[in-house]
Amino acid sequence: MRALTVVTRYARLTWHLSAVSVHRLTEYRMDFLLGAGGLLLRVVCQVAVIGMVFRQVPEIAGWRYHEVLFLLGFSLLPRGLDRMFTDQLWVMARKLVQNGEFFRYLIRPVHPLFSLLSERFLYPDGFGELLTGAALTWYAAAHLELGLGTGALLLAPLLVLCGTLILASIKTLFASLAFWTTNSFPALYAANQLGDFSGYPLDLYHPSLRWLLTWLLPYAFTAYVPATYLLFGRTAMLPWLFVVTAGLVTLALAVWHRGVDRYEMTGS
Amino acid sequence: MKRYASFAGAGLQALLQYRSTFLISAVTATTAVGVQVFLWRAVYAGRESGMLGGFDLPTLTTYVLLAQILGLVQANRVDEEVSGEVQRGDIAVSLVRPVSYPLARFAAGLPVSLTNAVLVAVPVLLLYAVLLPLTTPTATGVLLFVCSAALSLVIGFGVNLLVGFAGFVTTNIWGVRVVKDTVVAFFAGQVVPLALMPGPLAAVAHVLPFQGMVDGPLRLLLGHYDGLPDAAGILAVQLLWAVALSGLAAVAWRGAVRRVEVLGG
Repeated sequence: MRALTVVTRYARLTWHLSAVSVHRLTEYRMDFLLGAGGLLLRVVCQVAVIGMVFRQVPEIAGWRYHEVLFLLGFSLLPRGLDRMFTDQLWVMARKLVQNGEFFRYLIRPVHPLFSLLSERFLYPDGFGELLTGAALTWYAAAHLELGLGTGALLLAPLLVLCGTLILASIKTLFASLAFWTTNSFPALYAANQLGDFSGYPLDLYHPSLRWLLTWLLPYAFTAYVPATYLLFGRTAMLPWLFVVTAGLVTLALAVWHRGVDRYEMTGS
Repeated sequence: MKRYASFAGAGLQALLQYRSTFLISAVTATTAVGVQVFLWRAVYAGRESGMLGGFDLPTLTTYVLLAQILGLVQANRVDEEVSGEVQRGDIAVSLVRPVSYPLARFAAGLPVSLTNAVLVAVPVLLLYAVLLPLTTPTATGVLLFVCSAALSLVIGFGVNLLVGFAGFVTTNIWGVRVVKDTVVAFFAGQVVPLALMPGPLAAVAHVLPFQGMVDGPLRLLLGHYDGLPDAAGILAVQLLWAVALSGLAAVAWRGAVRRVEVLGG
């Protein structure tokens, strides 16, 4: 019962703070268009590259054009959602611990991680990725005449949610390193950069890289595993998706808490 | 000349303070090369003929690798620094200095490019040379490439400076830079060589200045041209754009200064 009260409270806070962000978004319309438009343009270029690749061959590593588009589109859904809600972690990795401003998240009556993230809820630049991702997934699915069963349709949002949690956890994990190193931006950036591999079929890559992206930095579970399930009905890896998500969230929160404890000690 | 040397020194010092940017650049370039090389290797594997737009696999791999490295060397953070100065208002200090602002910026950016070339580009190049078969360019190719790469640096600088001036107009510089990075990389031929683009798209790319940043230098290096007149043509177009962009940056700077004065009252 108590847990339910907590969940309701955080949900209401999120809703309220998101509304505040939307208001900010209408104030700075040009900024919003530039940010969201920039990411949209990036996706357009990625699609163009895939188009040029498929002008040369009918399929690559067993994937056809629209299947690759579906994978790319799907990969943008958790990425866009993650960008909309956890962008403040970048700021934290770069400077909030270094300049001591982090303390202000510790004195609020909510969880410090929520307190941190809430400063940039509904970060508008994520809209570009989310909308193009949805459009691309929809277009590719329609073209492939993907007849998904009720089970798959119900599972799909959950898969996106798990992907978002995995991305957010990787980010939290690397941003938390700032508690020890004061600036974890380079590490976070490097980890984030490797996510670029996940928008393409993992079958392209050398097995060692595939292993790395599955088990070490599990980006494979944010796009490749769910997309191969929805496209080809491959279920072998699907149970692992939930195990990895749960494990990673736990690990990220544990590291975060250790870091916060450390920060309090040095702050006194 | 001596005046500008001090800017070069300051640029280098600022760079060495943020040594982690070398790591970031290296990871970015390595990842980008990796994604593209794997993609094109799969394309070659699925084809009967071993040629694609006049490139065999080792040559295309060399192209993709060097394209990223050129992009890395041209990324001198001038856009970021100029727009930052504009937003913080520090630009006012630059107005009272007895030097040309664009030239001082170029002087500060040059050592950044060169240091990136030595400390990041060479290791990334060596890494991939060990991992993948590459094409060794001819002596003529290298000579033409050096001239062309120097011009590409000026073009890249002009583009970055103009993007930096966008700070006078908008506060979302991050967004402007994402747009710039995407458009430039695409039309420079950094992602896909212009020779592999469909006709209309290649035509658009050829009339834009960005092709002189990556595709031009690499065509010269890899011998992708018809005889010397064609090679000279590539260099001439680059030179033209270098001059045009420098002129445009100078004009934009003058206009921006006037705007600052108005705002300053």
